[in-house]
Amino acid sequence: MDETEIHDLADDADYAAASQQGSSIMSGNDTSNQNNPIDPENAETVYMKDHVTIHPSQYATVRISGRLKLIKQDSLLFMSWMPYTGQTSNARLSDRDKNLYTIRAVSFADIRSIRRHTPAIGWQYVIVVLSSGLAYPPLYFYNGGLREFIATIKQHVFIARSAEDANVFLVNNFQDPLQRILSSMELPRALSSSSFTDSPFSDNQERLEDGGSRHKRDISIQVLEKFSLVTRFARETTSQLFRENLFDDIGTNENKKNNQERPHEIASNEAPIPSDPFELDKTSLVWGKPRQPPLGHEEWATFLDSEGRVEDLNALKKRIFYGGVEHSIRKEIWPILLGYYAYDSTYIERQHFMAVKKSEYEIIRNQWQSISPEQAKRFSKFRDRKSLIEKDVVRTDRSHPFYEGDENPNVDLLHNILVTYSFYNFDLGYCQGMSDLLSPILFIMEDESESFWCFVSLMERLGPNFNRDQNGMHSQLFALSKLVELLDSPLHSYFKQKDCLNCFFCFRWILIQFKRQAKTFSYNTKEFEYDKLLRLWEVLWTHYPSEHLHLYMCIAILKRNRAKIMGEKMGFDTLLQYINELSGQIEVDGVLREAEALCVCAGENGVAAIPPGTPPSLPVEDESIYQHDDEVL
Amino acid sequence: MASRRRMLLKVIILGDSGVGKTSLMNQYVNRKFSNQYKATIGADFLTKEIQFEDRLFTLQIWDTAGQERFQSLGVAFYRGADCCVLVHDVNVMKSFESLSNWREEFLIQASPSDPENFPFVVLGNKIDVDGGNSRVVSEKKAKAWCASKGNIPYFETSAKEGFNVEAAFECIAKNALKNEPEEEMYIPDTIDVARERQQKSSGCEC
Ligand SMILES: Nc1nc2c(ncn2[C@@H]2O[C@H](COP(=O)(O)OP(=O)(O)O)[C@@H](O)[C@H]2O)c(=O)[nH]1
Ligand SMILES: [Mg+2]
Repeated sequence: MDETEIHDLADDADYAAASQQGSSIMSGNDTSNQNNPIDPENAETVYMKDHVTIHPSQYATVRISGRLKLIKQDSLLFMSWMPYTGQTSNARLSDRDKNLYTIRAVSFADIRSIRRHTPAIGWQYVIVVLSSGLAYPPLYFYNGGLREFIATIKQHVFIARSAEDANVFLVNNFQDPLQRILSSMELPRALSSSSFTDSPFSDNQERLEDGGSRHKRDISIQVLEKFSLVTRFARETTSQLFRENLFDDIGTNENKKNNQERPHEIASNEAPIPSDPFELDKTSLVWGKPRQPPLGHEEWATFLDSEGRVEDLNALKKRIFYGGVEHSIRKEIWPILLGYYAYDSTYIERQHFMAVKKSEYEIIRNQWQSISPEQAKRFSKFRDRKSLIEKDVVRTDRSHPFYEGDENPNVDLLHNILVTYSFYNFDLGYCQGMSDLLSPILFIMEDESESFWCFVSLMERLGPNFNRDQNGMHSQLFALSKLVELLDSPLHSYFKQKDCLNCFFCFRWILIQFKRQAKTFSYNTKEFEYDKLLRLWEVLWTHYPSEHLHLYMCIAILKRNRAKIMGEKMGFDTLLQYINELSGQIEVDGVLREAEALCVCAGENGVAAIPPGTPPSLPVEDESIYQHDDEVL
Repeated sequence: MASRRRMLLKVIILGDSGVGKTSLMNQYVNRKFSNQYKATIGADFLTKEIQFEDRLFTLQIWDTAGQERFQSLGVAFYRGADCCVLVHDVNVMKSFESLSNWREEFLIQASPSDPENFPFVVLGNKIDVDGGNSRVVSEKKAKAWCASKGNIPYFETSAKEGFNVEAAFECIAKNALKNEPEEEMYIPDTIDVARERQQKSSGCEC
């Protein structure tokens, strides 16, 4: 392995030029892969290396060897890595596992950086990071050829060495700070096994491991935790372990079906759909952490001290983010999560607070209930508001058992709470969509006053969605289009071309937090899937990886449908209709995982794309308000 | 073959919240009425294929949220409209009084090339309620307003009972068609014949 010594790459071009006529150049004729966007007629293989291997786990026996190629077609350079078939050296790996790692002609336009590793002992390897921030697992050059690999790339695409790290080669836009961070990110060797740390199965996993590389593994875990990345390989395995398919709904199945059909769809289209830089299903190896079972009663008790204070709010939020809470304890947890009860209050304090707030609620409610008909005649603002609310509560979730039937008292409660809120916050008043946000809260809290105050807390966050000037909505839609640009630039260009950059088609999703689960115009609306919605809301309310996870959710859902959107060339109208009809089919757990992965990958750039004060962030306040608050205290 | 090409006619339904816009649209397109429609959030549309003589058209009917505060979003949806339907509830005076406002707002936001002659149709809905006893906007009053705004066709409807809905939308479609620029028309004579016929059967005052 004499090639493993560290070379200065200044002479790489010469090296490659010298070997141009050599054996590495052969005409590509790879017909084994139907998904390959490469047209064999026009493609030229400019580099080929056998026995380039990946190490999906730490077991020395689990190695997947394959052939690495650089293929040139027109003026574009592609990289592919195909595992060898038919020579499974060990029983651990199925062909399916191998397929997970197959790199089917990734374009260099989608590659951000390549990091070269030339350890003193062991094989040289590279880590290829895509523009999306996703990375392939290390490719080990068992037969050498790494230097030649880099040199060949250099001949065909513009790459530059990173200023920070001479072993990082930046492809494309190397000024981008996001890329700088990601390109220096080192994915650990033990991608799959270490990702189990959070699962209940981690014990088994550790027993299986040979303890020798424990330290290395810990570093791996840190990296993984930091980026919340799980390999596709691990995802497949964990989903088996969790029997995730039990939770699958139509959405996922549809999605899977779509994915299977995708190559066919593309084939039938004249113009190929630009690939998703964050493709999470086919080539990606990165995924949000697996969801956990919801927080149960016993575990909830462990978060509380003997007097009922939440000891570590962040730990609680994190736990809820990854699994939600069991239905039976929602009533206890939602007020804390929404910030209505201080998390560090005791059981007794909360009880007292509840009583105080109850009489406070009744005072406000009495303000409008005491308005006489005579008075109301001369109070058009009140009448209009009240009638708007009356019209809306009778068309809010009436197919749900809690609200169904004539003269359902819960519908009256919705009405009373909303009218009271419009007096509590007279400036904001009532706006359509509020009844949609309140109904699940009343369903959980059951109590009128408690529901009111939880709703008040929620409106502290979402109130700007209903501002008269709609600026809260506009700023979220704006942030969304910025995030699309960051996380899926081909889709962004598509929206631009179709005059859809205002992202209005996501308006309903954002205004009422993905509430409308059933199709608006469907007559045989299926049973309202409240439970999924409740889960989604409590997860979003944790603000755990980001206050704006709902925007990343929008992106995740759009990505799931991007092939269809672009393939069918949807315009403003059709896109809106498609999205509206989709809302009944959103598979919450899967989308949340993808949203998390996207949020983490976007990192600081994602934060920068969202203007300060974008709901549900609190408005950017001036200092005078803070001072005022202090005086009150 | 050109005559078989489908043309898209875009119609916008406006009016105060709760007057029955969503119900009217569903009654026309799906011939169904439900008490369980949700308040419209954002916008939605339904399409219906219609035929005049040998020509097929796609009527695209846009339903938007009725609360004033969502009006700023209208720009995106009103663009390219061929006809605007203004709906009020004959049992609610305020919904009638809002019609002027909705009309103005539409003309500002859609900014049609010829605002003077842009086709509107007014629907007075929910005439079934309480056997007409709770009615506060008379037919005469509504028609007077329509006349003052350049002879806007007026229909009294019940989305619940399906009364006059079909006729109203036929008139709406016809007006939308009229708004389409001449050069896009195929054999204009044929259309005129169709238009005359429809006029008789629908009682449309256009
Ligand atoms: N009696 C009666 N009720 C109606 C009629 N049209 C709509 N409604 C009811 O009025 C309420 C509001 O209707 P909707 O179509 O949602 O109004 P929108 O807000 O204008 O879209 C619903 O409860 C409908 O059932 C009608 O013609 N007659
Ligand atoms: Mg409606």
